[in-house]
Amino acid sequence: MARLSLIVLITIIPLISTLCSSFSPENPTDRRILVLLDDLALQSSHSLYFSSLQSRGYALDFKLADDSKIGLQRYGQYLYDGLILFCPSIDRFGGSIDSAAIVDFVDSGHDLIIAVDNSASERIREIATECGVDFDDDQAAMVIDHTSYAVSDTEGDHTLIASDDFVQSEVLLGSTKIEAPVLFQGMGHSLNPANSLVLKALSASSSAYSANPKTKLSNPPSLTGSAISLVSVVQARNNARVLIAGSLSMFSNRFFRSGVQKAGSSIKHAKSGNEQFLTELSKWVFHERGHLKAVNVRHHKVGETDEPAMYRINDDLEYAVEIYEWSGKSWEPYVANDVQVQFYMMSPYVLKTLSTDQKVQQIPVRPFRHNEYERFLTAAFPYYGASFSMVTSIFLWWIHSMILHCSM
Amino acid sequence: MGKSSATKDAQALFQSLRSAYAATPTNLKIIDLYVMFAVFTAVIQVVYMAIVGSFPFNSFLSGVLSGVGTAVLAVCLRIQVNKENKEFKDLPPERAFADFVLCNLVLHLVIMNFLG
Repeated sequence: MARLSLIVLITIIPLISTLCSSFSPENPTDRRILVLLDDLALQSSHSLYFSSLQSRGYALDFKLADDSKIGLQRYGQYLYDGLILFCPSIDRFGGSIDSAAIVDFVDSGHDLIIAVDNSASERIREIATECGVDFDDDQAAMVIDHTSYAVSDTEGDHTLIASDDFVQSEVLLGSTKIEAPVLFQGMGHSLNPANSLVLKALSASSSAYSANPKTKLSNPPSLTGSAISLVSVVQARNNARVLIAGSLSMFSNRFFRSGVQKAGSSIKHAKSGNEQFLTELSKWVFHERGHLKAVNVRHHKVGETDEPAMYRINDDLEYAVEIYEWSGKSWEPYVANDVQVQFYMMSPYVLKTLSTDQKVQQIPVRPFRHNEYERFLTAAFPYYGASFSMVTSIFLWWIHSMILHCSM
Repeated sequence: MGKSSATKDAQALFQSLRSAYAATPTNLKIIDLYVMFAVFTAVIQVVYMAIVGSFPFNSFLSGVLSGVGTAVLAVCLRIQVNKENKEFKDLPPERAFADFVLCNLVLHLVIMNFLG
């Protein structure tokens, strides 16, 4: 009996310790990540990227995408905090995973990295479309750029692009500027204009287009210029973060180590920007950076301190909130001058920028009570007069007829 | 020629209308005068609102509806006390007037509440 309980204890201890270190609202950095691959050889060909994740404390679980034993959740609990899909050609996921399960995974606030190559299966396209990203319909299409391609020994077909059109955001790409262009070879995608949560992290240059490099271009390409996104990111309203890259090879050791020279530029960088770009983005995706929380939301009428149960229209109110940013280890005060607050009733009524120094909360706002309106307005005296003259006239008429009736 | 005949026709029409109206009982004439007074009050308020703007809109509505409502009720009274109208021949004029006063009471209760 003692032996049995010892065994139980031994199995429980690591379980508790993994639970403690995993994702939580207090400690929002992901811990357990499932990596789905087309081919286990990717584990070695992309080892630099994976080892950078592992060295930052992530537990990567490598599985073939068609492995029949994989599953994202067990007994209603998610087994992973993040998912990396390096399986562009998968037609059918193994185990209990399908595209709906992956969308549910994101919908429940978990993070996702998708990379496709020069092919993207219907399953991957479905997931990307849910995130607001549409890959080129042509399966064989690649992004081609005849002006900002990466110079190589052979002239090639200019599908190896050197792009340095990064999103201007320290939250996404870290505070260190990325000097070298990023090598990219793969499919382009466009962003769904109806989706305001998706944005380009790396866009193609204005001379790029998306077409099949092996055939002659007979029709105008559907995707052209800087409308092509090479790498896009999504932050959902539930804080789930998604990274969608059109090139799996940009994560590879070969591209990480490769030198890069952009066509038309004399500067030859010894190392491409891929490693810095993708590492910084992965820090954002897995919530090492840029994760905010709002606490201590307070609001009250001007001159009062208690939060009322209800506001009236035309009330002046003070609103204060404390915002903290997760630095990867601790919560630091978030200082910014572009935080905004919105008061909604069907559509935004008031949009104000908060001064330095979001939870949804519903406080009813009521209109004036009938006895709170202004009275005895000078402008309304004719109306008062008219009404009273009507009343008086009827009254007089009534009295008159009464007298007449009685005297008869 | 045509114009003078048209003027003559109009004159004849007004003449006949006036002579016909002269035969109307005095109590109906009083009601007619009262309806005109009520409508005139309402029209004056609409003109006033057009000049100064619709700001105390509830007051404006109350004032105008007070005039219009009274006019409508007075017209109803006129219909009921008219001897020529056979539909209400069984209804005594006292009853019609009581209805009129009661309806006005209800109307002006609402009007005063809404006047602000």
